[in-house]
This record gives sequence, structure tokens and C-alpha cells, in this order.
Amino acid sequence: MMALIRPRLRKPLGIALAGTVFAAAWALRGGHAWQLSVAMEVTVLVSAITTYVRAGEDTDDGALAGSRADERQKLLSLRARALGWNFAMVAAFIGVTIGVAVKAIWWWPFLVIFAVAGFGQLLGWSTYSTADEGPADDASPQHEARSPAS
Amino acid sequence: MRNRVREQRTQREMSQAELAAALGVSRQTVISIESGRYLPSLPLAFTIARFFGLTVDKMFDPDEEAGT
Repeated sequence: MMALIRPRLRKPLGIALAGTVFAAAWALRGGHAWQLSVAMEVTVLVSAITTYVRAGEDTDDGALAGSRADERQKLLSLRARALGWNFAMVAAFIGVTIGVAVKAIWWWPFLVIFAVAGFGQLLGWSTYSTADEGPADDASPQHEARSPAS
Repeated sequence: MRNRVREQRTQREMSQAELAAALGVSRQTVISIESGRYLPSLPLAFTIARFFGLTVDKMFDPDEEAGT
């Protein structure tokens, strides 16, 4: 599906689609929320157009926005997202700790963020790390037989 | 880690943009590799070395600091 869409259009279309769904959710609330929904949709479209323009620039940011990043640019993006994730986890931990201490009723959303972040990290470990593990080659009988110490 | 990317590129009178296009990376990445700010992955290091007709250990010297 993504292969059918031009790389430069992928991120702007993703922003437009996600933003439109979110704006539609506000419109479905009824009442005066439709005004907010319209403002949100305008903002989303401006953001999508801005991303499309940025995607045409010869910069690291432009390469990422245009879905044509090379290995260094992907690494930069990964590091930036990891830093953002760490900030979110620390902020959630501080939020839940303060919420519990002052007996606030708003402590649990922080716990949800913290739990989701923790679960995501465990998922990452199981996907990228554990799957690559294997037994140590020095544990095999063949290796022991070849060992000069034996 | 010192590398000979800039030296080899200038010998061939190539621009950074031309080298980037030949290697399939961005111009910014060529700049980062040349200045020693970014160490390329092993596949990219092989691609660079092969492009210039050198071995990886001739292209990248781990015993020398970048910019020396």
C-alpha cells in the first residue's frame, strides 16, 4: 500500500489522515465542538502542506519528512524519538508519584502512560534483542573438543 | 577514526552531492562521514571502499583520530 504512494506524499498524507480522523471525532461529540473540529482540520491541513514543502528540502529534516532518509538520518530520528520517549516516561513517573503523594484523582492517567511505555519497551526487547540470541558456541561439545585447554 | 573519503573524493574531482548520489546516501551524510562525526555502518563502509577501489581498512583507520 505504502509503495503505491510517492515517498514525499507519505508523511503529509499520514498527518492529514490522522488529523482528519481526530477532527471528525470532535465533530461527532456534537454541540459547539464542531467549531473546534473545523479549526483542527484547518491546522492539520496547514501542517500537512508544511510537511510536504519541508519534504522537498535538501536537509536531514526534509529527508525524514520525505520518507527518503538514509541510515544516519534514520538513526538521528530514532535517537530523537528515544529521547522523547525517555522524557515521557520520566514525566509520567513524576506525575504518578506526585499524584499518589497528594491523593489526587488524576494520578492514574500517568500510570497508564508509564505502563504503556514500559510495555512498549518490553515489546522492543522481545522483538529486537531476544529473537537474535542463541546459545554460546563454547557451550557445544564440538567446541570443547577443539579447545586447546582440553 | 580517520577516513580517506574526502581525500579520495577530491582526487576524483567529485562533489559531495555526486558522491552521495553514487553511494545512495544524502549529501549531509557524506559531510558527516568526511568530518568523522558519523561512523558508517559496515555495509556502507564496504560500499564506500569498493566505490573508491580500496579495502575497508585502507579507507578507515581506527588508530587515527578524525581530522588529524
